[in-house]
Amino acid sequence: MIEMLSYPFMERAFIAGLMIAVLASLSGSFIVLRRYSLLSETLAHVSLVGVSVGLLVGLSPLWMAVATSLAAAWLIEYLRSSRGLYSDSILAIFLSGSLALAIVIISLSGSFNASLFSYLFGSILSVSNDDLITMGIFGSLSMALLILFFKELYFIAFDEEVARTSGLRVTLLNFMLVSIIAVIIALSIRIVGTLLIGALMVIPPVAAIRFGMGFFKTTLLSMAIALISVVIGLSLSFFFSLPSGAAIVLCLLGIFILALVLN
Amino acid sequence: MKFAPSLFDVRNLFFTRQGNEILKLITFTIPPGEYCAIIGPNGGGKTTLIRLLLGLEKPSSGTISLFGTPQAKFRAWHRIGYVPQRSALVDASFPATVREVVAMGRYALRGLFGFESAEDKEAIAEAMELMGISDLSNRLIGHLSGGQRQRVMIARALSSRPEVLIVDEPNTGVDIESQHRFYELLRHLNRTKSVSILFITHDIGVIADDIHRVLFVNQTLLLSQNPHEMIRCDEMSRLYGNPSHVVCHNH
Repeated sequence: MIEMLSYPFMERAFIAGLMIAVLASLSGSFIVLRRYSLLSETLAHVSLVGVSVGLLVGLSPLWMAVATSLAAAWLIEYLRSSRGLYSDSILAIFLSGSLALAIVIISLSGSFNASLFSYLFGSILSVSNDDLITMGIFGSLSMALLILFFKELYFIAFDEEVARTSGLRVTLLNFMLVSIIAVIIALSIRIVGTLLIGALMVIPPVAAIRFGMGFFKTTLLSMAIALISVVIGLSLSFFFSLPSGAAIVLCLLGIFILALVLN
Repeated sequence: MKFAPSLFDVRNLFFTRQGNEILKLITFTIPPGEYCAIIGPNGGGKTTLIRLLLGLEKPSSGTISLFGTPQAKFRAWHRIGYVPQRSALVDASFPATVREVVAMGRYALRGLFGFESAEDKEAIAEAMELMGISDLSNRLIGHLSGGQRQRVMIARALSSRPEVLIVDEPNTGVDIESQHRFYELLRHLNRTKSVSILFITHDIGVIADDIHRVLFVNQTLLLSQNPHEMIRCDEMSRLYGNPSHVVCHNH
C-alpha cells in the first residue's frame, strides 16, 4: 500500500477518487430517493459528447464535459418541471440521443483511441495536477452547496409539493441539484469513466438504504461505502492493471450484494 | 378598532386547464378561527381550489389574498400547515425517522445556515406530543401503520405552529379508530389552540357539530353557514345532482 502511494500518479488518483466518492454518494442520495437515478447515467452519456468534441477540436475534454452536462441538466429539468414531460422519457431521449451524437463525432474525428477509452472506463494514469485543481475548486463548491441545502433537498426528496407549500424555493433548488450532479459527473470521468459513474452515484445510497436507518445515518453510510469501494477499486486497478472505473463498480456491486444478503 | 385580516380572501377566481373550466367565479372569505369543511363531488374542483390557495396552481383570473397580503407577495408560508391527500401513503423504504419528518415542518423557518434552535426542538416535541407520537421518534416512517403515518404528517404541518391547517381528504388508508381520533384532534386544535381549519372531506356528517361553515364546490361555490341543513338528503341530492342519502354512523 505504501509503495503504491509512493507513485505520484497514484497519489493523484486517490485524492481525486476520494473526493468523487464523497460528492457522488452524497448527491446520489437525493436522486435515488426521488426515483431519478437515471439522471446520473444520462448526464454521464451527455458528458461523453463534450469529451468527444473536446478531443475533436483540441479543447480540454474535462471543461467541455462540464459545459455539455450542465446545459443538458438545465434543459432536462426545464422540460420536466415546466413542460410536463415524463422524467423517465426525457432521460431516455437524452441518454440515447447524446450517445448517438458522441459516436458520430468520434467517428468523424477518427479518434477512437486509448485516450477515449480512458474517458469511457476511467484510468488511474489520466489524472493530472491541473485536473486535481479543477476538481478541488468545483468539488469544494458543490460540497458546500450540498451541505448548505442538505435539509431543503431532503425535504424535497421526501415530499416536493409540501416542501413548496412550506415556502422553500423548490424550482431553484432543483436546478441547483441537477447542476451539481452535472458538474460532479463531468469531474468524475477521469477516474470512473462516463459509462460507469452512474453506479458510484446510485449503488452506495441504494445499499445504505437497505440498513433501515434515518436519512443522516444513511447518507454517512452511503459515503463510507463509496469511499471503501474507491480505495479497494483503485488498489485493484494498480495491482492488476484494470480500468479503475470497472474495478470500483465491481467493489460497489460486491457491497450491494452483501447489503442485500444482510438485510 | 382594528380587525384581524381574513385568512383567505378569494375574489372572482377562474381556473381553466387545457381548455376545460375547472372553477369559475369563486368568491369567498374565511375569517380567523373558522373551521370550514369543503365538500363536493369528485372532480368538482375541491383539491384544485386548495392548490390555488397554496400557490401550487396559478389562477386563470381573479385574486387570492392570504392574511391580507396578495398571494404573489406572501412569504409567511409557515403560517399555513398543509396535509395533502394520500399523505399517509409513504414509500416503505424511505430512510426517514418520525422525528426527521416532523422536523421538516421547521426547515423553511430555519433559513440557510440555521441549525436546529431550542425553539425548533420545542416546537417539534410539542407537535409530536400533541399527536401522541413521541414514543415513535426514532422509528422509520415506512414501518408505521396508516394511522400513525397520518399523525406524523399532521405533526409535521403543526411543527411550524401554523395559524391555519389545510387538510385534504387525509383518511385514505387509515382505519376507523384513527379517523375518529383525527376528527377529535381537529376539534381540539380549533377550539383550544385557535387553529383555523380548512378540511376537504366526504364525511361531513361526522364533523357537522364542529364546523362553522360548509363550502360546496362543484365548479362554482356555494356557501352555507348551517352545516346541519346542508347534509339533509334533499339538499345534498340537489347539490350533487343525483339522489343522495346521508349515512349515519357511530363515530
